[in-house]
Amino acid sequence: MDKGLIARGLKRCSTGRFLLWILPWAALLAFGLYSAGLCLVLGLNQTNMDNRFAFGLWIFLDLTIIALGAGAFFTGFLLYILKVRELHAIINSAVVIGLVCYSGAICVLLVDVGQPLRAWFTFWYPNVHSMLTEVTFCLSCYLIVLFIEYLPIVLKNRKLREVPSFLVFEFELHKLIYVLAGVGTFLSFFHQGSLGGLYGVLRGRPFAFREGLALWPSTFFLFILSAAAVGPSFVLFTTWLVEKMARKPLVRPAVLQLLGRISGSLLAVYVLAKTVDTLVWINRTSPERGFPAAQYYSWQPFGTWILFAEIVLFGLAPALILLAPKLRARTGWLVSAAAMACCGVALNRFVMTIQTLALPTLPFDKFLSYYPSWQETGTFLAVVAYGVLVYSFSFRYLQLFPEERELKLEASQREEPVLAGRY
Amino acid sequence: MAHFIFFGALYIVIAVVTSTLSTAVLNSRRTLQSQMTDRIAWNSEFHELPALDRVCRHVLTGELRSRECRHAFDCRECQTHARLIAKHPPTPAGKLEEDILGMSFPLDRLYHRGHTWARLEDDDTVTVGLDDLGRRLLSAPDAVDLPQPGTRVHVNSTAFRVRKRGADVRLLSPVDGEVLETGGPDRAWYLRVRPESFNVKHLLGGSEIRPWLQCEMERLQLALAAEGAKPSLADGGVPVEDIAAGYPDADWDAVCGEMFL
Repeated sequence: MDKGLIARGLKRCSTGRFLLWILPWAALLAFGLYSAGLCLVLGLNQTNMDNRFAFGLWIFLDLTIIALGAGAFFTGFLLYILKVRELHAIINSAVVIGLVCYSGAICVLLVDVGQPLRAWFTFWYPNVHSMLTEVTFCLSCYLIVLFIEYLPIVLKNRKLREVPSFLVFEFELHKLIYVLAGVGTFLSFFHQGSLGGLYGVLRGRPFAFREGLALWPSTFFLFILSAAAVGPSFVLFTTWLVEKMARKPLVRPAVLQLLGRISGSLLAVYVLAKTVDTLVWINRTSPERGFPAAQYYSWQPFGTWILFAEIVLFGLAPALILLAPKLRARTGWLVSAAAMACCGVALNRFVMTIQTLALPTLPFDKFLSYYPSWQETGTFLAVVAYGVLVYSFSFRYLQLFPEERELKLEASQREEPVLAGRY
Repeated sequence: MAHFIFFGALYIVIAVVTSTLSTAVLNSRRTLQSQMTDRIAWNSEFHELPALDRVCRHVLTGELRSRECRHAFDCRECQTHARLIAKHPPTPAGKLEEDILGMSFPLDRLYHRGHTWARLEDDDTVTVGLDDLGRRLLSAPDAVDLPQPGTRVHVNSTAFRVRKRGADVRLLSPVDGEVLETGGPDRAWYLRVRPESFNVKHLLGGSEIRPWLQCEMERLQLALAAEGAKPSLADGGVPVEDIAAGYPDADWDAVCGEMFL
């Protein structure tokens, strides 16, 4: 039915099967939109957050998907600025992932901040001393850049490209894409940094507070580094997942290995920087504020295991796997390491958000626990469903993997011929 | 000071994004006015072809070991082609060569790599048709969409469209010119064109046809294999009249997408 919209030479499942696939996600999205609607109409009393526990599941989700979506800016930077041509095979997919992550994050932030009718206040009355203002501006601007980067991919659709003005605009815009890649890198760089800086400047929360360079606490740089390290891993992981679901090769193994190598190298630098930062924090920053670091880990379930898991299990271990050429060459190891790296960044953002707020900081304060309400969970799931839907439609109707057609032919070339002509 | 730095950076970013978009819009207007659309469309599609399909015609004939075409199959612009043709002019094929792998490829016409042909008629018009392999792939089409007389067609732009079992196939024009008359599957040709100039350096003829067709049969085998049909070794058989009928489960849009470039 929709064959005319699918790229030439590519095969996709039948319209019926595709509808069956998107139906549950659409239902989940509808449930999530209802949950988000309740929060917007009735207020944040629909959530389990309060004045003391002001950041919850949504901010954790926001920070995590923003970090995972960093593959878009970093892949664009490597391809268009540093001219790593091999990454052309995955750039479209990386842009879609980035767009999904950033737009999903903005939607969830709109629900979290509430008062959507006053959303423009942040632009009109900006508090230039707040890291949140930097976050808002960079996030909004980068989302616009991502939309513009997504536009040529959409306009290359088989039907849309038949419209001469769309075709020519796509052609002309693509010629200038390196400018957008540069701007995107600048914005995403500062956005990731300011998200980290947001925690590092919390003087009243010694668990999160960090020293740093000039205006910026060390978390500013650690967030940038971790996002740049994990972005390629997430692109690698999603590509592998889509290959498994579509049951066909979409990129050459060498491209996935290159992503793994880039991710592994940056992850190794991040683990080193994080280790130094943690040691400085344990031995100087925190004790100077009257908090021996050990006491943070006396509150269960946040034992020292969480620090070990974050730095060693989901940091050092995947970095070493991704840096070892023999392990990297094996898909199982490569994908597992990429998934571990993604879990590592999620755990880091969880620690910075949830553990920071759960820990008591004043003598009369107590350890708090927080469980998201169903409305919060519903909104969270809406973002996941939205991401799956946008990616599914993009994969079906747009050419996310330019080498797919070639790899399809190569795969059929490798099959053993049988001795029977049948034309 | 912080205000100036912050807002300065922000406004620079907004200015860069806006000017990039404006430049793209202005350049697009200029390009649209310069009638380059067909060329851009084909170049864009050409670069999406698998490397196997972009191979230079001189590789097919064995003159070069490996070379990817850099001119989107428009050999009129290619210096390598001019040099090689000057060195080894293509020999006319013998009469028997008209029957290649059980298909008819008359030598009175020249062939486009997208399975169309062009023949210069006595009245200096050019007829455009579908070659025998293309005809067998699109045998008994469901619909044919032909341009109106007076329409201008360009080399490598869409000449006409054929629909067959869910596949919407666009056939590439082998010549530049104005459509004078339309034919169809029941006639020997699809279009009669008044050519702007009959420059046919980009078309295949003579002894080039056989190696090209052998390569096309391999591509067809691969395209069918990719659609689930088992690859088979040539056993001397010839392509049947309606190839699509032999593969009822194959996605014909994907097969035609491959074969018609």
